[in-house]
Amino acid sequence: MSKPTDLVQGTLDLLLLKILALEPLNGWSISQRLKEISGEILQVSDGSLYPALHKLEQEGLITAEWKPSENNRRAKFYSLTRLGRKHLLREAANWTRLSAAISRVVKLKEA
Amino acid sequence: MQPEKWIYTVPLRLRSLFRRPAVEQELDEEMRDHIESQTRKNISKGMAPAEARRTAMVELHDLERSKEECRDTRRVNFIENFMQDVRFGLRMLRKSPGFTATAVLTLALGIGANSMIFSMVDWLILRPLPVQSPEQVTYLGFSQGGARTDTLFSYPEFRDIRSQTGNLFSDEAGFVFGGLTGDQTGPDGLTVDGKTQPIQTAFVTGNFFDFLGIKPFMGRFILPGEGNTAGADPVVVLSYKYWQSRFGGDPSVTGKPASIDGHAVTIVGVAPKGFPGPTPIVEMQAYLPLGMVSVESPVAADLFTNPKARRLLIFGRLKSGVRVESTQTELRIEGGRILEQYPRDGKPGTLTATPLRPPGIVNGGPSNPLNKLAGLFLTLGALLLALACINVASLLLVRAAVRNREMTVRAALGASRGRLLRQMLTESVLLSLLGCVGGLIVGLAGNRAITSMPVLAQNVLPLNFDFQFDWRVFAYAFAVALLTGILAGLVPALRVSRSNLGKVLHDGGRTLTAGRSYFRAALVAAEVGGSLTLLIVAGLFVRSLQGLKKSDLGFDSRNVLNLTIDPNEIGYTKVQGQRFFKQLLERVRGIPGIESASLASVVPLDDSAVDESISIPGYSTPKGEPAPSATINRVSPGYFKTMKVPMLRGRDLADADDEGSLHVAIINEAMTKRFWPNQDALGRQFAMLNNPKNPITIVGIMKDSRIMSDLYGPIPPSFVVPTSQNYSATLKLQIRTSASPETMARPVQQLIEILAPTMPVFNVETMTDVMEGLNGLFIFRAGAWLTALLGILGLILAIVGVYGVMSYSVSQRTNEIGIRMALGAQPWQILKMIWRRGMVIIGAGIVSGLFAAFALSQLANDFVVGVSPIDAVTYVGVSALLTVVALLACYIPARRAMRVDPLVALRYE
Repeated sequence: MSKPTDLVQGTLDLLLLKILALEPLNGWSISQRLKEISGEILQVSDGSLYPALHKLEQEGLITAEWKPSENNRRAKFYSLTRLGRKHLLREAANWTRLSAAISRVVKLKEA
Repeated sequence: MQPEKWIYTVPLRLRSLFRRPAVEQELDEEMRDHIESQTRKNISKGMAPAEARRTAMVELHDLERSKEECRDTRRVNFIENFMQDVRFGLRMLRKSPGFTATAVLTLALGIGANSMIFSMVDWLILRPLPVQSPEQVTYLGFSQGGARTDTLFSYPEFRDIRSQTGNLFSDEAGFVFGGLTGDQTGPDGLTVDGKTQPIQTAFVTGNFFDFLGIKPFMGRFILPGEGNTAGADPVVVLSYKYWQSRFGGDPSVTGKPASIDGHAVTIVGVAPKGFPGPTPIVEMQAYLPLGMVSVESPVAADLFTNPKARRLLIFGRLKSGVRVESTQTELRIEGGRILEQYPRDGKPGTLTATPLRPPGIVNGGPSNPLNKLAGLFLTLGALLLALACINVASLLLVRAAVRNREMTVRAALGASRGRLLRQMLTESVLLSLLGCVGGLIVGLAGNRAITSMPVLAQNVLPLNFDFQFDWRVFAYAFAVALLTGILAGLVPALRVSRSNLGKVLHDGGRTLTAGRSYFRAALVAAEVGGSLTLLIVAGLFVRSLQGLKKSDLGFDSRNVLNLTIDPNEIGYTKVQGQRFFKQLLERVRGIPGIESASLASVVPLDDSAVDESISIPGYSTPKGEPAPSATINRVSPGYFKTMKVPMLRGRDLADADDEGSLHVAIINEAMTKRFWPNQDALGRQFAMLNNPKNPITIVGIMKDSRIMSDLYGPIPPSFVVPTSQNYSATLKLQIRTSASPETMARPVQQLIEILAPTMPVFNVETMTDVMEGLNGLFIFRAGAWLTALLGILGLILAIVGVYGVMSYSVSQRTNEIGIRMALGAQPWQILKMIWRRGMVIIGAGIVSGLFAAFALSQLANDFVVGVSPIDAVTYVGVSALLTVVALLACYIPARRAMRVDPLVALRYE
């Protein structure tokens, strides 16, 4: 499984941060939520999910807590840190600008 | 760099480092949970449980890889992996104690030898004097042209220089070497609690310790006001070493009354540990104020007033910002001034300041042969270490082959090549660090052995070979060990990390080395070469020593006692001096046990030979050559009898040759050949430029000898004149005794005391001691010993290497040998085959070693006398020796090859 390109990796981080901004979730739930919201278009392979989550954790953008989950077991719940929130806002803004620019180019009428 | 981030990151990293098991478990749990949840979802979608689970796991894509990636994000991998490697490495080493012991021992030898060499180099060259700002300390000298600089001054001169060179020096201190006017044969004696033991004294001006900027270990030092007049302030400061060895570090020693040479003194303090005095090579054991110099002889105190009593060494501390080179002009002016007030024999000269560096005051100038010597020995040590490295690398290569399978499995599990490489290197560095510890132990032990070795000069001077292992030596050993570990382990590590899974598992682990032992063979050839180089250099040194010992000195040095007598210091005029010496000779000759006695201004190896410029009628100097000169020795009649220098032609000096009669001289062969080639020099004349009105007639020709020259090198032209016609202020009394010369020292000195109670007598030593001492054979002997030791160590390593590689080669080829024998080969043919391989390796090694030895011996050229650096005997002899020994080392494995039973061999896998 090759490492995703920087663009894709960066985008994945953005998605994860945003989902966690809505509510704290554990790893599996994040993957489910992502599939739901994007309508199965965004297929994040589970194999790249966890490394991405761990990386965000190591960078201090999200933090983890072991909480009791359904089935009386404990699960690792991730939530956004303040730093993560700032990062999210910035990255979201960047994404919006970027995607708008790309759209403008793509919509150019061919001569 | 957001500091806020660190609140989260740091605890995480620390946790990953120190609570690893917990972190791993969490990772596991998280993954498991995911799989459980996904499985449940799959089941709810209608899959069978087993399939559900499998799908879930597949989706998680290679669980282990994923986990490894998670681990990667932790960013503490480097440290973690390193710790892991170290732990594992230690375990592996413990599991094969034989290998570990051999490797560590080999490395310990190499590193230990290098540490010892480095500690010597450190002491001789690097380590600064243990005083404040040692780079500012210089010693003064008076140079009158020529190679030698006189470093001794009188007290009035010292006073004047001190007051007049305030621009250059922030302070100057004076220092007198004790024991030079002693009544005993050697140092003074310190009596404490009734017991007397010899002690090397030094007499210093009051400001000496302030000048050095050191603090006493115990008690106090000599104070600036003390010692300015004769006999004042009878205090003494002991050296740390002496205090420890004689008094066992007893603190009650300060304040104790004691006496030196019978004069009462009080011990007031102890100098700091590790302070040997201003000349590290000789340890000063006691410091007394300058005024106390009268303990040695009552007249010695005229030191303060007598401008001719030159016994003071002057040390100057450069003012901060002043460099030695910039002092030259002013010192020259000062030198002229001093010379005017206090005339010396000879040409005008200049004051010089030379930085005081270890090992102390080097007579004759700043050019340092020690640097070259250090370079030579460091190179030899590096060679030895290379040999040790090669041996260990060989061992590691074999081991690597064995562990090939293990490495491949690791690679399959996801270890990167870099990781494998790192692990192998960690193991080899661990080995070498262990070797470093072992080496330091070996080095320290060797150190102790050397410092307790009786040095012949020690009955006169307490020589201080303080090859301490200070932090520099430890750092050096550590660096060397690291480098060794990496070098020795590099190739095996590279080999292993390249291994190929399929091939390895298939062939059962043999493939890596079977056909590829060229590399190992090359290594061993290099070893043989290195060993040859070491042995050749050792051979050169040993031959040089032998040559010197056997060399024809031209005189007989056995049973001769020398005493230096200086009537000049007590103000004797020429007439008085001559009368005294005449009486002395008469009386001394009357002492039973003395075969002959004579006087001379120069004794062999005493550094006092002087070139005298001469003029020769009818001789014109060939172009490009310097003006004619020859070394001069002023002697009394009987000189030739005492020294036993053969006279070739003409006559000896006689009592009849006195002031009124014809001035005569006896010249040596070198002088005839030089100035009267193809002529008979007998009856010819020449004149000394100092005394042109008295032409000298040659009445005798003596055989070339080393009475006035170095032990080696060409014998210069020299001549001998009678003291009656050429008075010298300082003369040496030389006595040939029928029995042991030491026994005559006391009676002769007593005699002198009767004749002139205040006469200074010093440097009382036998000719044999001088020959063996520092000016003589000592250095050569030490050099021969050291290089021989290195050579032998190298030989052992090479033999082990050769044996190892041949053994291994045979064991690898057992199969092949079995086949050959089965096909009809005779045992001797097998032997020949094995032996031929060995010969090729050894031959290549010898050839390369010869080249290397040739290169290295150019460096050794300066220290090897009388032997050319490409001395055939040494080269051929050593090569032959090494070849024979190496072939023997091949023999045993070869014999084993011969005895192989083909049936067994064919089944051997």
